[in-house]
Amino acid sequence: MSMKKNYVVETIRKAQMIQLLAKGKRIDGRALDQVRPLTIETGLIQKANGSARVTLGNTQVIAGVKIATGTPFPDTPDKGLLVVNAEILPMASPYAEAGPPSEEAIELARVVDRGVRESEMVDLTKLCLIPAKSVVTVFVDCNVMNVDGNLFDATSYAVVAALRTSKMKKYVVKDEKAEATEEWIPVPVERTPVSVTLARIGERMVVDPNTEEEASMDMRITITTDDEGHICASQKGEASTITPAQVLEAADMSIRLGKQLRDQITEATK
Amino acid sequence: MIERKQVIPGDVIARGNHRYGPYVEKRGDEYIALRVGLAEVGRDGVKLNPLTGPYIPRTEDDVIGKVVDINGFGWVVDINSCFDGFLPASFVFGREFSPSTHDLSSKFKVGDMIGARIESFERSRDPQLSIRGHGYGKIDSGEIIKISPTKVPRLIGRRGAMINLISEKTGCDVRVGQNGIVVVNGPPDGIVKTAIAVKMVEEEAHAADLMAKVDAYLGGSNGGGS
Amino acid sequence: MGEAKKQLIGDDGKRLDGRKWDDLRPIGLQVGIMKNADGSAYIEWGKNKIMAAVYGPKEVHPKHQVLPDRALLRCRYHMAPFSVDERKNPAPSRREIEISKVIREALEPAVIVEDYPRTAIEVWVEVLQSDGGSRCAGITAASLALADAGINMRDMVVGCSCGLVEDTVVADLDDTEDKEGNGDMPVAIMPNLGQVTLLQVDGIYTREQFQKAFELAIEKGKQIYGMQRQALTNRFFGGEATSSHVEEGAE
Repeated sequence: MSMKKNYVVETIRKAQMIQLLAKGKRIDGRALDQVRPLTIETGLIQKANGSARVTLGNTQVIAGVKIATGTPFPDTPDKGLLVVNAEILPMASPYAEAGPPSEEAIELARVVDRGVRESEMVDLTKLCLIPAKSVVTVFVDCNVMNVDGNLFDATSYAVVAALRTSKMKKYVVKDEKAEATEEWIPVPVERTPVSVTLARIGERMVVDPNTEEEASMDMRITITTDDEGHICASQKGEASTITPAQVLEAADMSIRLGKQLRDQITEATK
Repeated sequence: MIERKQVIPGDVIARGNHRYGPYVEKRGDEYIALRVGLAEVGRDGVKLNPLTGPYIPRTEDDVIGKVVDINGFGWVVDINSCFDGFLPASFVFGREFSPSTHDLSSKFKVGDMIGARIESFERSRDPQLSIRGHGYGKIDSGEIIKISPTKVPRLIGRRGAMINLISEKTGCDVRVGQNGIVVVNGPPDGIVKTAIAVKMVEEEAHAADLMAKVDAYLGGSNGGGS
Repeated sequence: MGEAKKQLIGDDGKRLDGRKWDDLRPIGLQVGIMKNADGSAYIEWGKNKIMAAVYGPKEVHPKHQVLPDRALLRCRYHMAPFSVDERKNPAPSRREIEISKVIREALEPAVIVEDYPRTAIEVWVEVLQSDGGSRCAGITAASLALADAGINMRDMVVGCSCGLVEDTVVADLDDTEDKEGNGDMPVAIMPNLGQVTLLQVDGIYTREQFQKAFELAIEKGKQIYGMQRQALTNRFFGGEATSSHVEEGAE
């Protein structure tokens, strides 16, 4: 069941929202292209190889990285594995339920995964121990702790921050077996993908929608860019249409804001 | 002099033989707090003013709600409680109402805010609402603020003292539902001040000199003590 | 491969982390930190990091589970995949399902469910990092979350686990002591009513050891109850436990 369908925006609020948007402002005082305050805290889960807690306004996500060894996929025998999972905890929202992941949570995990994977943030070839037999598996599990809109970006920033600060044991191969040494090395991170989500409300596109804005939007688009400003992943959401001009507008905003956000994320995860 | 004690669930408020109010349990000769709040033993017996807790509908309460659904026979209204309220179409259109002749959304749509009264609340079904009477019905405009329903008595104040103070000093019309929903209308800077004053009351409901604090914030002397 | 068994209690009587037999690990509590939940509490107990949140009273879904004369109390204890040494599959394990049940049964005697007929009260306990004693820590936080939500309660509920390590009764076993020791006994109590609402035992105890561990758990539970009180005071009374006098008739 879609969470957005359950939250009803008051008609008075929606009217105020539309009125303000026409003047280039939003209901919480932000500009159309302004992201809410973003905080990034890392290393909070010492038992994990890496972790991050991100707050984007009142949306809060915790991501934890765990390293294990496993067998590679047959068609990529020399690449390690990256698995990204997300759960919207029942405590995160009155509309979230316990149970197997909803289609929302699955879409969330897969979109975030795509941004990380397509950007080649983690060099999976560096995670190969014995080709076709043994590789390192990097699990990134995300817990959405509190929902206030824009889970895509908050979760993506948490995953990126956790990976950037993750450490793993160095493996050596002895007698055709991979063994973990006591030496700690950083997880091989090459680049920093940044996801930016826009929502369309009436005629306008706003960045980083909160709960009320998401409940009022009729279209959402998430675009992920890499360090060179290349677009590496995108997802349009909601059962509606988007014009080609709006797609390009979104792409430009994502490239521009992506740069600022990347600086903030890299600074917080030095 | 009444002694006001800060209590948590399980605390003994008093011993002896007293009358006692809600959120208090009598165990032998002890009176036990069932909530976090401020307890007092005075001429009305043992009382607990809770500082947190849900809104449980009571008959004749004025509430402010949001229409969240429309079915054949009325409007389902979110009244910030464990149950949604129900406003029967017959209460609005009269006894001749029929779903085939009356379009409910012509009166109230999903998302509309309404001021209503709890007409009845029986344990076996959802609370029934009524909008008969002066001042009830659709709320067309205003800033919506949500507070803990337990703070509503503080926000209204003794015989309306607090709410009148805020309203006069900000030039705003402040409408308070017993269910913790507040709607403010007035000049933009007045609305901002009202919102801050309301949050102040919510956060410092436990303070003894709250009236003076709010008065000071709103920038004037109110004459007399708090 | 033979490995010398770790000495869990040194010759000086100190445990692996330096504690004496009856020392608790450091405990930190915060109430009311989650914005959407009706009530919430966060606990750090040693290396445990656990968030508890409450929604309710609210409508019951699915409707056929509604109870006409009381609230339905639901509880889920869940461990995040990154909370333990080996990554855990996110799907609920049998252990989590059992713990969810015993936590619910530990909290229910305190919650006055009769005051909320035809509703549900949901308690969510999420373990972000686990290090022994997480169910007791979860109960301690859940009780605070219920109080934060303003649900009528007869008493608070507080938990502490005691047990046996190398034949010595100790308080508050951490993960290593739980795995390599001789017994663990999680206990939860309602401190004012003096009632036990959770009791689980594993290990082999003599009658004397059993009594000693059990009574130690209760004594420690009462100590932790004092911390619960302070956490609620911080949240609701501006951090100062006081009582004040007001003129009769003032607001």
